[in-house]
Amino acid sequence: MAECFVLSGSVGDLPWAEAPAGGLRLVSAPEAEAVDFALLDCFDRPLTGSGRVLIEAGAELTLLTDAGRLAQTAARAGNFPGDLAPGPVRTAIADLPFLRSLLALGRGRMVEQRLALLDDQDKTQARARLWRLEPKGRGVAVTLVALQRLRGYDAAYDQLARRLRGAGPHLPLTALAATLFPGCPPYSAKPVVPFTADSAARSTATALIAAHLAVARQNEAGVIADIDTEFLHDYRVALRKVRSILSLFKGVYDPALTDELKRAFSDLMAPTGRLRDLDVYLLDRAFYFELLPDRLHPGLEALFALFAAERERQLAGLSRRLRSKPYGAEMVRLQAVFADPERLVSGPAADLPVGDFARGLIWKRYRKLCRIAREIGPETPDHEIHMLRINGKKLRYLMEFFAPLFPGKQMAKLIKPLKRLQDTLGRFNDYSVQQSSLAQFVETHHAADRVADLAIAQSLGALIAVLHQRQLEERARVQSHFADFDSPATRETFRKLFHHEATA
Amino acid sequence: MKIVACYSNKGGVGKTATAVNLAHAAAASGLRVLLCDLDPQGASGFYFRIKPSKKLKDESFFKDVKRFIDAIRGSDFDNLDVLPANMTFRDFDIFLSRMKNGRSRLKKALKAVNADYDVIVLDCPPNISALSENVFKAADRIVVPVIPTTLSERTFEQLLQFFADHRLNRRKLIAFFSMVQARKTLHQDTMARLRQLYAGQFLSAVIPFSTDIEKMGQHRAPVATFAGSRQAGQAYGALWQEVRARL
Ligand SMILES: Nc1ncnc2c1ncn2[C@@H]1O[C@H](COP(=O)(O)OP(=O)(O)O)[C@@H](O)[C@H]1O
Ligand SMILES: [Mg+2]
Repeated sequence: MAECFVLSGSVGDLPWAEAPAGGLRLVSAPEAEAVDFALLDCFDRPLTGSGRVLIEAGAELTLLTDAGRLAQTAARAGNFPGDLAPGPVRTAIADLPFLRSLLALGRGRMVEQRLALLDDQDKTQARARLWRLEPKGRGVAVTLVALQRLRGYDAAYDQLARRLRGAGPHLPLTALAATLFPGCPPYSAKPVVPFTADSAARSTATALIAAHLAVARQNEAGVIADIDTEFLHDYRVALRKVRSILSLFKGVYDPALTDELKRAFSDLMAPTGRLRDLDVYLLDRAFYFELLPDRLHPGLEALFALFAAERERQLAGLSRRLRSKPYGAEMVRLQAVFADPERLVSGPAADLPVGDFARGLIWKRYRKLCRIAREIGPETPDHEIHMLRINGKKLRYLMEFFAPLFPGKQMAKLIKPLKRLQDTLGRFNDYSVQQSSLAQFVETHHAADRVADLAIAQSLGALIAVLHQRQLEERARVQSHFADFDSPATRETFRKLFHHEATA
Repeated sequence: MKIVACYSNKGGVGKTATAVNLAHAAAASGLRVLLCDLDPQGASGFYFRIKPSKKLKDESFFKDVKRFIDAIRGSDFDNLDVLPANMTFRDFDIFLSRMKNGRSRLKKALKAVNADYDVIVLDCPPNISALSENVFKAADRIVVPVIPTTLSERTFEQLLQFFADHRLNRRKLIAFFSMVQARKTLHQDTMARLRQLYAGQFLSAVIPFSTDIEKMGQHRAPVATFAGSRQAGQAYGALWQEVRARL
């Protein structure tokens, strides 16, 4: 129907407006008054990455893609994609993950200009809208162009499109955010760390830790601003990965140093756990209500009100901590520690080539996982299942960390069934953790209101029972999911990729 | 997809004014509208500044989907396209039913070029002819402007009689009072009588006699675009709401 593109800079004094052909006249409405605009995307920029530009200006949301322009009211209940009013923009961004909030990547001023090609009857035959975006900050101005085709007037459209396309150098829509707002680097929860099989184990571990530490830091502001719960989640995952590297990459650093660092990262994680648990409860609110009959909903309501209040307190506490001087100093210290591998006291494996080192670690962990899994039967105690989960997770992390060393396709084939197994084990674990955390809540919570407490206690009791049932169901799936994972083809691939003798 | 025909067996009663302004009101409400100019005079196209197409002076174009689509012109207004035809349509009912049938080649072709309409508005010529009969069969609703005078009253009776004689569905007919002059007692009396006589057949919205509507000829645009806040501009919006409710 129409097209959109971006010209860098502003379209000057219409140098491209030489006399139109075919008896048409180019008219431009006087420039509109400048208005404030914000460029919107989620923190990890899924819109920018897919060539979609979402702009809020005035009371309108505008989405531009190569295929044209969509607009709808900007009025909305909140900043999650699902909070937008029903409309074409909301529909066109329905693929965004629902847990991530939209936020302003940057702001500035916007001037709109409208152009049209008219015929001798003053009938419009083609139209274009131009928006000059002038960013606040060090960025460069750009002009967005959206052409509108009117059915049956292709020649006029082509004429206008040709002129505007030639009006300045083009920028891809994916480059718009970086051009307007060069200050903020794009975010990825999974940093790419370049290394090869010959890199030393210690320098590789150090580079991976430094990268994940940076990821954690990028999330701090979003946690404090409480933009969405993914900031804290990513923050915790990044720190947990650092801790895993420290414990899984055995022998790259001096043991005493390793212990000290592990403790430092555990200390960073500790004050975040309860907040994350509460986030998960609150996100799964609808799920919990579905688990229980209506009769028990009032107690659940009261329980969730308590959770919400506790979350506020937890968030306030964590935000205070993240803004504090000692926290900042500790992060700067840790970043300095991992800025240079030479400064970290070596362990016996420090200089091993990381290729051999990785194969050894993955192979051992894989064997251990299989050993535990093959023992599992109906009588196996729960803690064995937990062991399986922990080993699966470690294997998964190792394969992710070392992914650049191995062929991507084969790795993906291994990771897929492993992930399925892990999902079941993860749910098994969540249900069990939630049961004990809710049971603990019953014991420790004493409020003034006895009637409400009774209702809460009843709902909690029922909830724990249902969660227990769910846990048993997940447990029953473990064996079959391991069997899916433990196929001859998977065994063969693990052996081929990671077993020393096989590859030597 | 719904088909709304603007029809009267009398000329100069406001059919074209109705078709143009109803189509505009429907499009403004977000529906995708195609206005078909079936009157050889080409007045609808004129109001949208669209030149009559030479290509169209050929009946065979119904059989040729591409030629039909190529003849459609985008108006200056969002969601509103115009078929600036000027010809006699022999197989028009077949054509319209194909437009409605989701599996027909025509419907698919319209979809493929993103010209799939929610509402088709027909601006009809004033005679009762073979074309009119086809239109009566194909349309979901036939909107009939009636000037509240004795002569128009007779014309409306003739139309009802025609429907009866040809076993056409009279419930498709929706009449409304057009060019109403509120101060004329003749208009008042006629309206009161007809509303009683044909209870339910007349819409409550009326279109007043208005210089704003006459001025469409100078502006060459729907009345809402230059007198939207005035009585005439509002009247067509209200008329469309009522027609839509009966679709
Ligand atoms: N409500 C109205 N008030 C005043 N003039 C009108 C009104 N409706 C139509 N006209 C004028 O009357 C003439 C005939 O109207 P038109 O819509 O072309 O009728 P039809 O299509 O039935 O022949 C036109 O000049 C038009 O401008
Ligand atoms: Mg007419």
